[in-house]
Amino acid sequence: MPKDIGVHRSGLTMPVVTPRFVDNAWRRGCDFINLDLEDSVPQHMKGYARTLIKDAIANVTKGGAEAFTRINHDLVQADLEGIVWPGLAKVNYPKAEYAEEIQKLDRIISRLERERGIRPGTVEIGANIETSVGVANAYDIASASPRVKEFGGAGGYDMSRDLGVEMFVGFDQFVYGKGEVELAARALDLEPHTAPFTANTTGSVGDPDRAFREAEAARKCGFRVGGGLHPNVVEPQTRGFTPPPEEVEEARKVLEQYRTLENSADTWAEIDGKIIDRYEAARARKLLDWSATCALRDQEKADAVARTEQAGG
Amino acid sequence: MSNADVVLLDLVEFVPEKDKPSAREGLGDVVRQLREGGAEVFAQVDSELLYADLHACVCPELTGIVIAHLESVAQIEEADALLGQLEDERGILHGTLEIVASLETAEANQAASQIASASSRISGLTLGRAELVMDLRPEPSGEIHLMQYLMQRLITVAGSAGVTPYGAWWRAPDRGLLATPENTGQAALRGRAIGFKGSFCVLDNQVEPMNQGFTPTAKEVDEAQNLLEEYRAAVSAGAASIRRGDRIFDAGASLQAQVVINRASACAVHNKSKADAKAGRPVPAP
Repeated sequence: MPKDIGVHRSGLTMPVVTPRFVDNAWRRGCDFINLDLEDSVPQHMKGYARTLIKDAIANVTKGGAEAFTRINHDLVQADLEGIVWPGLAKVNYPKAEYAEEIQKLDRIISRLERERGIRPGTVEIGANIETSVGVANAYDIASASPRVKEFGGAGGYDMSRDLGVEMFVGFDQFVYGKGEVELAARALDLEPHTAPFTANTTGSVGDPDRAFREAEAARKCGFRVGGGLHPNVVEPQTRGFTPPPEEVEEARKVLEQYRTLENSADTWAEIDGKIIDRYEAARARKLLDWSATCALRDQEKADAVARTEQAGG
Repeated sequence: MSNADVVLLDLVEFVPEKDKPSAREGLGDVVRQLREGGAEVFAQVDSELLYADLHACVCPELTGIVIAHLESVAQIEEADALLGQLEDERGILHGTLEIVASLETAEANQAASQIASASSRISGLTLGRAELVMDLRPEPSGEIHLMQYLMQRLITVAGSAGVTPYGAWWRAPDRGLLATPENTGQAALRGRAIGFKGSFCVLDNQVEPMNQGFTPTAKEVDEAQNLLEEYRAAVSAGAASIRRGDRIFDAGASLQAQVVINRASACAVHNKSKADAKAGRPVPAP
């Protein structure tokens, strides 16, 4: 697993041109806000939208969230000039298909970081796989720049359209693509960002119960990254990606039992129907680390909200 | 004495780190004893401890090694060279010892194709305990996360490299090759259905369900034989296929029937030689 991982359990993607979304973003409790220049921004407003990002970054981070921006696949140069400002944590690049595209992003971002007094290497690149070409080149794309730290995709509307398949069906139509992308992420020690299959045949984006179930299932399969479109899913996602107290307690117990085991001649034991071995111990350690990281992050956000409220919003 | 086709002597998973030196001592004797009992013997060695592990296990009675926690092609090349050297020193025909590559890490799975063709000794691929090494856990469906993708990928890579894919299709709550006899049988059946040819397991009571699951049933063999006979008669009469109910049997389907029959007879021959060995009768070399 990567060192120094970000905490990106919940986040809202919102059109930067809609003031009521942007102005309220800091109160949502998200780990990140993804300011969109792409699909949620009308074509005639693309130029104007770019000019809003610099102020929006300061606005949406008031509650402790990180600020990301999703740019347009075909407007890389102009979008990057408009958005790489202090406070930006990540550029999300949709429909990534070739390593060369990521290398180009890296070069432009590197220059802008120097020009604008941002510590070199600060801005991450989210290379999102949303097409067959992207799946075929997944490993090359993921390894194209050290700025790529989370890697995923291979699902969603764009992938469905690319494959010519329905998006909301009762089975997983993306097994192969998601597998390729996750394997590449794991082989490169990046944070994988896909999800196990849970059926969603309605296309609902604002159901809090569903959001929790999906986040919890994803966390149990080793994922830590969420994100959505509706404020209703923020809290359930944050909760679903955070280990609950009973699992933290259980992890402590596993480590205790493992310490006993280590002093014996056995490599595994069955205790109360559960196997204890080095793999369970490693998993328990990871869970405790993640739990502590989540708690720190929650404190950070609470502090930021308190400061902002004190200053009058 | 177990009825397993292969006994895998482990130096990796079930030996505590501090006991490894003593586990290596006398390993050769254990290999010889087990071989006399009729099973093929493999040793499971650590990709990071190849020198010590291979010196401990290589002897004429050993069929090969399973390299666990594999990460790179370089480790295969290292094992290949070491095995060659030890074969030369210990009077074994150069190139005899096999390697089964256990692709348990993401790195190894990513490099599966290169690994499969990195040495002519490679006779098989397996995911081993990948779900533990990669920490892959059950999805809400009961399938173990990512495993369907990894299994099909491994089987395809093995097929393209001409080596044997080993494994079974485990589901929750099975874990790390551990399961009840019943679940083991199901995992073996599913495993055979997607192309695995056999699997490792951990408990003695898993061996029979494994053998059964990977052996075509008498009913399957009967059906295959009947179809093949009908098909051959039709072909001699000038037809290209036969129709049975709503199914059509052509050249491809007849080859598939032949595969079932061949597999079943190979299993029968192997069972006989295992029985002979157990009874102390002479057994031809594998």
